[in-house]
Amino acid sequence: MKFLHDLWRSQSEFVRTFGAMTLFFFQLLRYSPSTLVRRFSLVVAQIFNAGALSIVIIMVSGLFVGGVLGLQAFANLERFNAEEATGILAGFALVKEIGPVITALLFAGRAGTALTSEIGLMKATDQLSAMEMMAVNPMQRVFVPRFLGGIIAMPLLTAVFTMVGLLGAHLVAVELLDVDVGAYWQQLQQAMELDDVYEGITKSIVFGFVASLIAVWEGYNSVPTPEGVGRATTRTVVSTAIAVLILDFMITAYLL
Amino acid sequence: MTFHRGAITSIMGPSGTGKTTLLRLIARQLHPDRGHILIDGVDVAGLSQSGLYALRKRIGMLFQNGALLTDLSVFENVAFPLRAHTRLGERLIRLVVLTKLHAVGLRGAADLMPSELSGGMARRVALARAIVMDPDILIYDEPFVGLDPISMGVIVRLIRRLNDTLGISSIVVSHDLKEIAAVSDQSFLLSDGAAVASGSPEELKQNDTEMVRQFMHGLPDGPVAFHYEAPDYSQQLLDQGTP
Repeated sequence: MKFLHDLWRSQSEFVRTFGAMTLFFFQLLRYSPSTLVRRFSLVVAQIFNAGALSIVIIMVSGLFVGGVLGLQAFANLERFNAEEATGILAGFALVKEIGPVITALLFAGRAGTALTSEIGLMKATDQLSAMEMMAVNPMQRVFVPRFLGGIIAMPLLTAVFTMVGLLGAHLVAVELLDVDVGAYWQQLQQAMELDDVYEGITKSIVFGFVASLIAVWEGYNSVPTPEGVGRATTRTVVSTAIAVLILDFMITAYLL
Repeated sequence: MTFHRGAITSIMGPSGTGKTTLLRLIARQLHPDRGHILIDGVDVAGLSQSGLYALRKRIGMLFQNGALLTDLSVFENVAFPLRAHTRLGERLIRLVVLTKLHAVGLRGAADLMPSELSGGMARRVALARAIVMDPDILIYDEPFVGLDPISMGVIVRLIRRLNDTLGISSIVVSHDLKEIAAVSDQSFLLSDGAAVASGSPEELKQNDTEMVRQFMHGLPDGPVAFHYEAPDYSQQLLDQGTP
């Protein structure tokens, strides 16, 4: 009986949180157009915060992920005398899967946590209440610019990650392992369709929405104490990682 | 409870009796379950979002820790309400902000960031921000907490001076008796969510009710018990089974 009661409690809690989050999401959407028009400078500042400040970690990770893909692809394809196809393997993996997914995970770790803790601290130090008391809607001043900044930054970061990754794979395969450079790029170019690129772009846009929403929501919903903010920051990373990986599977299955 | 126009009214009471809740109700950051809050005869609870925001432009609020926006400089913090609600030009904004900062003695700190301020300075900046829109009502949430005696004296004098020169109605929540006595025209004592006594600070000191006496004279035991609710002492010590 207690078990059923607990189950019911946790389920209704989940539904309540999910409902509140959905309402929050609609609020964000509702204020997005006006914020874009009237407070564009705030959005730009947040694109800088979420995007430009993440670029180092994105590029370094991209270079090494691309390199390791090149290594693995080469090692396995060599057995079939197909090492020219290294480019295809590494390229497809990067453009369609690894690029969007790892970028989203890195984004959650670098930009998502920053967003959550910043908003959580603003809440804990009454800055959000102060704004409301000054008749300024925190939605327009705080939440929506950060949300939009994340959405815009994510596809751009994904593009950077994928390009640097391709460069890393090229360096390993062509410069290090002596795959013929012409064959390497020509095979990749022939095999890859525009649809494959679209799939990567679609994913990065969806991940941008999800990662930004979770980061901003967790900050908004955090318990306004030091430990509450810390816990919210952790939740941002965990929830984003799970959501991104599940969505990645669903989008891939749908587009196949 | 009635708050008079142009007067400084203080709300006192032990921790957890609903002082801050009352402030948040007045500013409608919280919705009342029962009862009404009238400002100039208008029920706050019935206001629409735009009506509420119009009301809040007439209310300045000083938060306990200042609640300055950490990503903006002192100048920009004070300019924030002006930029949000007026179409004043840059020169006029500068003029107004510097005047208000001068009033709290921090004109020289305009370019500092909130993280570079001491607690007392942050609160004075927040005060400058609260009066920048020339409000009719100024609400102070625990303005004396955690200040050294000098900063405390400064704040006390500022509250009095701002109230008298700008013709503001002030509401001060605090439990610092000495400071309250120095500034307020009228006081309410809250206990368990209700006002148990009111009057000038002097009158309250004379008040004979048990609750008021305990609070005004800082007695450790009384209606507000020293011991948190617990099972019988000897029983619990002898009872080894339960912790």
